[in-house]
Amino acid sequence: MRDTVVIGAGLAGLMGALALADAGHRPLLLAKGQGATHWTSGTIDVWGAADGSLREAITGLVASNPQHPYARTGFASLEAAVARFRALTEAARYPYVGSFERNVLLPTALGALRPAAFFPATMAAGDMRLPGPVLLAGFHELRDFFPPLAAANLAAQGIDARGTYLNLPPIKRKLDFNTRSFAQLFDDPAFREDVGRQLRAARGDATRIGLPAVLGLKDPLAVVGHLQQLSGAQVFEIPTLPPSMPGVRLYTIFRDALVKAGARIQIGAEVLRGAAANGKLNAVFSAAAAREQEHHASTWLLATGGIAGGGVRTDYTGAVWETALGLPLRAPTGRGEWFAPRFLNEAGHPIYQAGIATNEQLRPLDESDTVVYKNVAIAGAALAGCDPIRERCYSGMALATGWHAGQLLAGANE
Amino acid sequence: MQTINTDVLVIGGGATGVGVLRDLALRGIRAVLVEKGDLTHGTSGRYHGLLHSGGRYVVKDPQSATECAHENEVLRRIMPHCLEDTGGLFVVTPADDESYADRFVAGCRATSVPVNEISVREALRREPLLNPRISRVFEVRDGSADSFLAAHVNAEDAVRHGAQVCTYHVVKALMREGDRITGAVCENMRTGEDVHIHTSYIVNAAGAWAGKIAELAKVKVTVVPGKGTMVAMNHRVLNTVVNRCKMPADGDIIVPIRTVAVIGTTDVHVPDPDVFGIEAWEVERMLSEGEQLVPGISRARVLRAWAGVRPLYKDQDVADDRDIPRTYKLLDHETRDGVKGMISIVGGKWTTYRMMAQEAVDAVAQKLGVQAECRTHLEPLPNIGDWGQGKPVTSGQAVRPLTSTADLPPPAYFWMGEPLAHVEAADSYGNLICECELVTRDRVVQAITTGRASNIDDIRRDTRLGMGPCQGGFCTYRAVALWNEFKRGTLPAPSQAAASGGEPEPASHSVALLRHFLQERWKGLTAITWGDQLRQARLDEIIYLDTLGLDLLPAPTPTDQNAPEMVTAHPAIATEYHAM
Amino acid sequence: MATIPHDHIELSLENSLDHCIKCNICTAACPVSAVTDLFPGPKYVGPQAQRFRKPGQPTPDESVDYCSGCRVCNEVCPTGVRVMELNTRAKAAIVEQNGVPLRTWLLGYQYLFGKLACGPLAPLANVGARNPLLRMLVERTVKIARNAPLPTFSTYSFRSWFKKRPKQQAAPTKKKQVVYFHGCSTEYYEPRVGQAAVEVLERNGFEVILAKQGCCGLPLLSNGAFKPARSHHEYNVEQLLPYAQQGIPIVGTSTSCTLTLKEEAPELLGMHETAVRLVSENTYDIFEFLRMLHQRGELNTNFKPLNRTMPYHAPCQLRAHNLGRPALDILELVPGLQLNESNAACCGLAGSYGYKAEKYQIAMDVGAGLFEFVRASGSDTAVCDSEICRWQIAHGSGLTMRHPIEILRQAYGDE
Repeated sequence: MRDTVVIGAGLAGLMGALALADAGHRPLLLAKGQGATHWTSGTIDVWGAADGSLREAITGLVASNPQHPYARTGFASLEAAVARFRALTEAARYPYVGSFERNVLLPTALGALRPAAFFPATMAAGDMRLPGPVLLAGFHELRDFFPPLAAANLAAQGIDARGTYLNLPPIKRKLDFNTRSFAQLFDDPAFREDVGRQLRAARGDATRIGLPAVLGLKDPLAVVGHLQQLSGAQVFEIPTLPPSMPGVRLYTIFRDALVKAGARIQIGAEVLRGAAANGKLNAVFSAAAAREQEHHASTWLLATGGIAGGGVRTDYTGAVWETALGLPLRAPTGRGEWFAPRFLNEAGHPIYQAGIATNEQLRPLDESDTVVYKNVAIAGAALAGCDPIRERCYSGMALATGWHAGQLLAGANE
Repeated sequence: MQTINTDVLVIGGGATGVGVLRDLALRGIRAVLVEKGDLTHGTSGRYHGLLHSGGRYVVKDPQSATECAHENEVLRRIMPHCLEDTGGLFVVTPADDESYADRFVAGCRATSVPVNEISVREALRREPLLNPRISRVFEVRDGSADSFLAAHVNAEDAVRHGAQVCTYHVVKALMREGDRITGAVCENMRTGEDVHIHTSYIVNAAGAWAGKIAELAKVKVTVVPGKGTMVAMNHRVLNTVVNRCKMPADGDIIVPIRTVAVIGTTDVHVPDPDVFGIEAWEVERMLSEGEQLVPGISRARVLRAWAGVRPLYKDQDVADDRDIPRTYKLLDHETRDGVKGMISIVGGKWTTYRMMAQEAVDAVAQKLGVQAECRTHLEPLPNIGDWGQGKPVTSGQAVRPLTSTADLPPPAYFWMGEPLAHVEAADSYGNLICECELVTRDRVVQAITTGRASNIDDIRRDTRLGMGPCQGGFCTYRAVALWNEFKRGTLPAPSQAAASGGEPEPASHSVALLRHFLQERWKGLTAITWGDQLRQARLDEIIYLDTLGLDLLPAPTPTDQNAPEMVTAHPAIATEYHAM
Repeated sequence: MATIPHDHIELSLENSLDHCIKCNICTAACPVSAVTDLFPGPKYVGPQAQRFRKPGQPTPDESVDYCSGCRVCNEVCPTGVRVMELNTRAKAAIVEQNGVPLRTWLLGYQYLFGKLACGPLAPLANVGARNPLLRMLVERTVKIARNAPLPTFSTYSFRSWFKKRPKQQAAPTKKKQVVYFHGCSTEYYEPRVGQAAVEVLERNGFEVILAKQGCCGLPLLSNGAFKPARSHHEYNVEQLLPYAQQGIPIVGTSTSCTLTLKEEAPELLGMHETAVRLVSENTYDIFEFLRMLHQRGELNTNFKPLNRTMPYHAPCQLRAHNLGRPALDILELVPGLQLNESNAACCGLAGSYGYKAEKYQIAMDVGAGLFEFVRASGSDTAVCDSEICRWQIAHGSGLTMRHPIEILRQAYGDE
């Protein structure tokens, strides 16, 4: 009934579906559950190690590492994807700022300085290269953000930072708090009034105030504005432990735009296998009550993620496989090769590079570099040749490959 | 330099050491315990948690079986809150020699190990996941023990009776006057300061390290470190201890302990108790043998693997290492080697730790001319950490003077749902720092402020923080943050804890704590990480790299003058933490 | 005998807690913990608490009782944990320990009231059921919320309508036969839904067979009363098996009944017998069935334009079939008809949850966003596949509620 199916609801799948919808398709998006959007910080990380221009860093990477996913999209697709992404979030009143000129350094909940190329405007005042004393504030009730520790580590890096706790304004909820319940509370102006007053009192000489990234789900920009007005300082968000509210916002923005464009999103539908003939995928089967559900389409986008997302799975025999369609993978052989002895090993752990190799058109390749299915494109962390977390390119790579794959498939359908 | 004078110095903070310390204290003998790591840092904190019925040894090692059977009943009365009354089964699987079963039953009778044959049907009713092809089943009084808690309550009771516990104190040399040992030179590993402990008597209870201590007295004690690797499953696949009914061998037991089920164990003799790793074949052996007991277990989620070293004492007359008995041995170095002032208590099982302590302290008391008799089998251990259904079992409950263990009140065992029941009763689910193991903020703060913790791994031993499915993914950041707030005096402390404590600490110490604990967890993961646990490890990596940027914070190096050194970087235990 | 099954390690249920990576996606999606902190959230009561529960020991946690069973956690979980099922088995352990409470009997056997009140006495019964004094009394005694939306007894039952209608022509082949599973609500409260279903099926050339059937047992099942739930399911399997054996599809309009037949009863009760499986595999939600016809090119798409725009809510129980939005897939074929789907996770009522006095307000708070959405639509009618959700949405929003099959029936026009 729908001519294209996207498998996976992370950033790559959502972006691919958007590209398809932009081209006039009404894709069906199937996903086993919510994805990595809810786990990650919500910034667009293009390339963490970039010293200066990200354009140059990516162009250099494409030249030096032709197996990297960015080499499949090129800088142009990345740029176009980010532009489309920014238009989408802007229209949803949740604009992203930043540039390809250089990474900014945003503070983490631990007080590290994390590079990011684009980020929600609600995080903008957190650029740690900007001058001005910083106050970090949180709540004892929130287990996922500890301002004194973050401030101490920032201070150790020469940043004028201080951490404090606020009192929980009088509310009904008493026992159990998480990032979502705080985000709901911040949607309430009365709650903000109380917090804003406390911030003003605690501010001292600080010109900027960092709060956990829980400043509302409905209209975070307005929440930040309101708190700025009340506190008399610039206010910015700092990502917390999962679930990530910036990630939830992103998912919601994509969902609303896609549904409006006629796409259908089916969360809870795990794709178990496909059926193919003559080098083309004709159907996939998803898990459903009592019996599998069969889906037909002419083009397919696979964006099921890597080890974390669930697109790549392993077992104790050392087997590594792609979960939805059983596509061939590039992966280290044998469990002995999977890990480095140190958890924080700079080069990462080889197993996390496991993924699907593709040709220039993001079509999956088998061991002998032959295209497996000519009507399937791959995007996101399911791609081989990259450790998106270690390289700090997860979201940039997801947008670029998702967008590129969606456009290639849309073109193929015409 | 610090000087301590005492009557008895106990070396080793494992089950035996704390047992000796408590026995001494209850008899009114002044005593100090030194341990180079945290309590249970050695073998006691790295075993599968079995409270032996004795069944495992009825054929191979009858004396050990009888000792276990006796102590099993004593421990049930004095520390029920550290024990779970799981019961145990010996099952004959299709892979086992059927003739062993009759020898097993005869052995039980001969060694006074209570046993009762039940039907296969009844066994499967109790444990539906058990291999349905088993042919015979015997019921015994196995249980499971929280060895961390047991050591802590022993130490706590000893301290209440005047003893002193010094963790992170390594023995560098023994003081000697002629043929008499008169004390020990220790290093306080936290401060680097030397501590001279003068004593009338030393009890060497260093377990697998006892040979190394004896060497300092120029005495030869051969302790063969027998490495055993264990694999913990993510949940309690079984609720009863299940043993293969055969001669003890690799992977022949599954112990349900707290939230996990542990498959144990291998037995590999290693040259040095400080240097050993987990081999891939060991994990595979555990899982493939585990399949005989619970078909499908190798496809279930494995949480972690670890190894401990058994202290196998090798008498001069044992030719083959494999025949080293599991019984314990008291060595009086005065009669054995002509060295006065020191005894060694070696070998044995966790289950027999109290009996070993009693025998050692009987000998010491005699040397010191102390008349007081052992009371460790009569006085229940105190209840710390609120376990034991919230009702501490104390000797005060007894009406008449206690003359035997049987006079103690019926045991109130730890039960599996207890931590959850506590959280529910206090509505403290919003206050969980370690969500997997239900460790509340109050308990972490208590471990930080009142315990002997030097790092997050020590807090883990006190609280089980980081021992669940996410292996520290969510709680390490939280625990380190609380630690940091405590050191900065900003921690809102619960009533029982000090409002603020400790010396101010540079922020980089929090980075060191985080790196250390995550690395410590990682060490036990690389051998068993696949499937769901690999996915978990990747999520943990997302948290510490993407969300928190731990790798971006400068790592303190030992050469950096301003960087505080982690006590675990001390050479005395460093290999422990860095060995793969 | 213990009624709570303990699945083998290779079966998914008990073991599914192993898939949990503690990521909190379910915690962020749970509609109940969003509005009350009496419920600690699906991760806590599900895979986390499960590691502390042991058969035969006292239940350590009561907070699991605040799980509404809406299954949103299952839907969003990226790793496949069956949170709702774990919770329901934990509830069953409480029931096994404390016995089935009177309220569960009343909610589980409400169809007996239907049997009594449906028919000529219905107007009287409806007045009684809406009597504030009586409701207050019921709330005080058995803790059934006085304001919770009770359905209106029909003046005729669906089966009586079916029997009285002119005899239809028998289908030429078995392929053109379906068994219609109407469920209690169609029988006693909303026979119009069944009438629409029968007419739609007949417009597609099917002979509709009305097999003997009982309550699917879901209200008992979801409240942990496994023993009586099992006998309900056994009865239905016995009645439906002969049709399933012949390959005659069993089609239902109550999406919760079809879910129970397909999956909930077999999974929760550990009923893995062939007969149970056969019935499960031959059961379809009506729009799932129609969509299948359409995929085969066999659906009668001779629709009249319906120039209407209405809000649509895909209920939790439909979403738990994991079939997407079959009603939307079919109704979008109707010219002029526009259904706007809500993003609400749940209407709040969740089977029998919102009928409980202590949970009524939680249920209303959960549904608040949905009520606002349907009210803001400007339409006087909204569409939803589940009867209980329709009653709740009508209660919360004041709109008239329709099953999508009623809309499809309209689209076929009069013959």
